Amino acid sequence: MARSIVVRLGDEESTFGFTKVEREKLYGKKDRVIVDETGRECDAAWLTPDGAVLVPMGGTAHLWMDERWDAREQTDRVAVDPAGEPLQPNPSTLGVVQTLREVDAPRVLEIVTNGVYQLEPEAVGTTLADALKAGRMFELPFAYRDGAYRDGYENDVAILVANDEGMFALVGRPSGFAFVSRDVIVSDEPLGPDELDGDLDFGVI
Amino acid sequence: MPRILSITDERKRDAQIELRSPTRGEPMRWISRADRAQLKLERLVKATEKTSLDALTRALGTPEAIAKALIDGDPEIDLEQVGRRLGQATRVWVGATGQILYAARVLSVVTAPDGTEKSRTDFVDVEATLGEDQPPLPWSGRLLAASEVVRKFALVRKQQLRHVNGLTFDFLFDIARTLEKSEQMLVVGAGPRAQKRLIFQTNGAAFNGFLEGRTRGDTYLLVLHLSNLELKRVGGKPSAP
Repeated sequence: MARSIVVRLGDEESTFGFTKVEREKLYGKKDRVIVDETGRECDAAWLTPDGAVLVPMGGTAHLWMDERWDAREQTDRVAVDPAGEPLQPNPSTLGVVQTLREVDAPRVLEIVTNGVYQLEPEAVGTTLADALKAGRMFELPFAYRDGAYRDGYENDVAILVANDEGMFALVGRPSGFAFVSRDVIVSDEPLGPDELDGDLDFGVI
Repeated sequence: MPRILSITDERKRDAQIELRSPTRGEPMRWISRADRAQLKLERLVKATEKTSLDALTRALGTPEAIAKALIDGDPEIDLEQVGRRLGQATRVWVGATGQILYAARVLSVVTAPDGTEKSRTDFVDVEATLGEDQPPLPWSGRLLAASEVVRKFALVRKQQLRHVNGLTFDFLFDIARTLEKSEQMLVVGAGPRAQKRLIFQTNGAAFNGFLEGRTRGDTYLLVLHLSNLELKRVGGKPSAP
């Protein structure tokens, strides 16, 4: 059964169905296809570093291994923080009332969006509908599925916005960027992973 | 290594600065519930090209022959290789008989949102439009209110612009202050007229860029927000709030 995003603003509760917005659905896509001399589409495979083995797609498996190279069952593992303390999995927020907090554009700009949902109003309070129509924006905690772990980042949040097209939820996490001063020795600071490295996109039209 | 690029300010002065991705928090680890042993997810070889269904079909011919071989032995298991770590394997393309292709034709297939194929042409590399070796990004002069940007575009990537020395600190601080005073974001594009989308590497994703600037005392925050997705409905009627 499809679950809903349920929110509360003041005394009013609102419920939304939602559908993921993806580039492919809006713009289509552009794929790279490899063909041989006869025009037949070719399959990808992996060649091991020593060149000894050719592994077809689907010819690999992921296993949890310990330091002695023994395989462990999925159910045997538990997530811990850097100090070794067990982490608690977060429950899904879908179908559970979440309290809305009004936010301004600078707060929305702090969030790196990793998912966009178009909202299908099922029961929307007039206060929220009017506020969204007026361009106001609201934040709520968001976890799509049960069992996601807090992994040292802040939890996901969703931002509710509306424009001429309709209402949307932008799901993401704060970037964590800090103000920089003149004395910061930039090159000595630890680097995060380069988000744009390998960000290949054959879906650009 | 941080990315280096050149940008131009409102007064048409350019300077090389540094781009940084968001920093991540401490990663979580996985341990065994039973004995707290450290666990690591490894990618292992499960099957090889020699023992794939295609290879068995080529070698044995009929499904009946394959079935008999499976009953008699383990032809689908490459006992020498199964369980081996895949490591830094190279992606290759294989032909109809499972041989590696040393020369292949690369096509670009464009598909419409409804799934219909629109075109099939030879693939042409799309070059990066910004980077250390590219001309400075121009000051487009096009400004948009932040409240408008966040309600029209999904900002899916962010890069922080940072100084590399005292001179570029002043340069970036001034840009941040200019944008903060205007209470708007600068539309950032590549090319002489800032009309090309931002592509950070060959065949990389193309983004629309929006530069946000803030200052606090003697510090600044300049963030380049990147979007390749508009906030539009997928099919269906618009749903006014």
